[in-house]
Amino acid sequence: MPGTIRSVSLVWVVLLVCLSSRRTSVGAAPICTNGQVGCHVLSLDNLFDRVIQHSARMHGISSDLHSEFEQYFLPSKNQIGRVGRICHTSTIITPNGKENAQRMAREQLTEVILKLLIAWRDPLWHFHQSMAHHHDFNNFSSNKALEMNDMVHELRQGVEKVAEKMQVLGIISNSVTSLASPEVLLPSDSADWRLMKDYDLLYCFRRDSNKVQNYLKILKCRIVPNHGC
Amino acid sequence: MRRDLRGALLLLLTAAVQSSSMSAPGKPVLLSCRSPEKETFTCWWEPGSDGGLPTTHHLYYERERLEGTYECPDYLSAGRNSCFFDKNHTSIWVDYYLTVMASNALGNATSDPFKMDVMEIVKPDAPGNVTLRVEEREASPCLHVRWMPPSNTDTKSGWVTIKYELRVKKDNSNNWKEYTSGTQTHFSLYSVSPGGVYTVQVRCLLDHGSWSEWSNTTFVKISNYLQNERPLSMLISILSAILFIMAGLILIAKRKSVKQWVLPPVPGPKIRGINSQLLQSGGSDDVGNVLIIKQSFPPIYFVWEDQMEDYLIVTENEDWLSSNSQKRKKSLIPACFHFDSEIHSKESPCHQNDWEKDEEISQVDNNNKPFTNTGYVDFQRNVENVDVKHVDYSRVKEVKSDNIIFLEKEKVQSSGYIHFQRQEGIPEDYSRVKEVESDHLVVLQKQNAADLSCKDEGNHYTDCALHKPRKPHVCTELSDSGYVDTIPAPPLM
Repeated sequence: MPGTIRSVSLVWVVLLVCLSSRRTSVGAAPICTNGQVGCHVLSLDNLFDRVIQHSARMHGISSDLHSEFEQYFLPSKNQIGRVGRICHTSTIITPNGKENAQRMAREQLTEVILKLLIAWRDPLWHFHQSMAHHHDFNNFSSNKALEMNDMVHELRQGVEKVAEKMQVLGIISNSVTSLASPEVLLPSDSADWRLMKDYDLLYCFRRDSNKVQNYLKILKCRIVPNHGC
Repeated sequence: MRRDLRGALLLLLTAAVQSSSMSAPGKPVLLSCRSPEKETFTCWWEPGSDGGLPTTHHLYYERERLEGTYECPDYLSAGRNSCFFDKNHTSIWVDYYLTVMASNALGNATSDPFKMDVMEIVKPDAPGNVTLRVEEREASPCLHVRWMPPSNTDTKSGWVTIKYELRVKKDNSNNWKEYTSGTQTHFSLYSVSPGGVYTVQVRCLLDHGSWSEWSNTTFVKISNYLQNERPLSMLISILSAILFIMAGLILIAKRKSVKQWVLPPVPGPKIRGINSQLLQSGGSDDVGNVLIIKQSFPPIYFVWEDQMEDYLIVTENEDWLSSNSQKRKKSLIPACFHFDSEIHSKESPCHQNDWEKDEEISQVDNNNKPFTNTGYVDFQRNVENVDVKHVDYSRVKEVKSDNIIFLEKEKVQSSGYIHFQRQEGIPEDYSRVKEVESDHLVVLQKQNAADLSCKDEGNHYTDCALHKPRKPHVCTELSDSGYVDTIPAPPLM
């Protein structure tokens, strides 16, 4: 009797371990890297579509939050002259139009995207923390801040996968440095984002998320053009 | 002096009046800016009062991450009081600070600064070339709508993602119905009915920007071609519905017979003359008693009537019998049998008491009354339990005197039961057999009416029968039981 009990419990433990190990990625099937067995192989086209959808959603949330803040805080628009708003990502050189983005090399463009995403990881996390502690904001806004934070994280992982796949396929060279050491990309001489007020932070993030979305679309239509372009 | 003063005042006044119409211009107001494709943009302003003098307006802008103040590159392309920024001068995701200055000979006026980012002011042109095509199908027509994206929008490079929306209204109503088309430049409407004028408009959206204006209205009339076929199909459907309802009503009305036809009752086993309930309730002795036939010529036999054409059961009581004159089929008997005859509608209950009662009655009657009518109860030979006596008949050959009978040699087999044919008004007599000489000679006992008394030998019936005066010239039949039955016959001599 005790022998059978032990064997049964062992089987259960093994099953639980297997299930928990399988649940690493929530939702969609895991994307294969370097020939994993049993995972779902996605084409580059599919990967691009996924990250583009993700970035569109992220931009939508940031727009909503920004307009909510505008209602609450009504920042003064009566300043004459230039307002000294500087986003902490302003040191990153980004193409400011369609032609510039199309002219930029693929590797460069991919790197710009990744730099932007990495630069926003910490500020959004702290923004979410400050939102949670502030009692002025309702749960709706707080949830959006958390969602925004998660999405930046996921989007960055997605773009990294896309970059890897492109490197594997030989579409881009292996010179994308962000994949090797992301900390290099953190802007060192920019204004400290901790000094930014919440409203400015949202304004800057709204802009940057729009950039990411547009750059990804340009990249996709250059590399895998199809009817979606 | 006074005149001069007045003249001077007048001059001053006119000068003052004249000089108030000319002044510095009023403050202009920047209305809005718009980018139709996220590559260029245009801004419009509203000038203030011009102060009576020719006034010019200039737009100046400053840009984030760009040093200096710049003037509008193009005042003409977009019309009056506008400034058009071409691709070279447009930067997305940077803030522009615009101001408009109105100036005339007397002064300047500057508007409030207007801050904008191209990302926020995207609003495309309306889609063009909206065409409608009616497809006439059998069941219902359908409307195919096609359009082109706005000409200045670049949808191929993925820079912007365009989405469409269309709205339809019928005839002159104000109810528009809206549909989303996604990124397709065509749409099919299936909820159109013939005989109406449909008006369609389309608009579009870029990424997260604003919706464009609605396109020019396009309308089409759908002809009325389907009217003929409708009434026929409606008529057919109505008729079939009526038929169904009628069939249903008939079924409901005749549900009993339908039920019998569908599920006929299963006949159960039944033996006529035997009441199964009584059999169950009564003891086995009674059943046995009932089935046994008494040895002596019995007034009472047990009846299985299903094979009898004519049978009687005897009763001594006249009044009892008189109630059924012709057909005395009433059952006297006994204990657990009851009639289930066709002729006899009434079921007489069988009780133990009846049996005894009948015995009583018959005993009494035997002593006193002669039998006017006689009969006997037949029983069926085929029943196993019954101790059946075989009855043979012998034919009477000759009657010598009034007490000697000669019989024929051969015996006539009876069919198995004592058959009794009744004829109306013929009294029946029995004579007792005194002696059987040989197998063909029977000596009858002479009797007087006074001599013979109805002895109670346990056979009630027959003794009393001898009271009857014996009539000559009667033929008799010989029976085993010792009694000769009488049958009227032509006199022998």
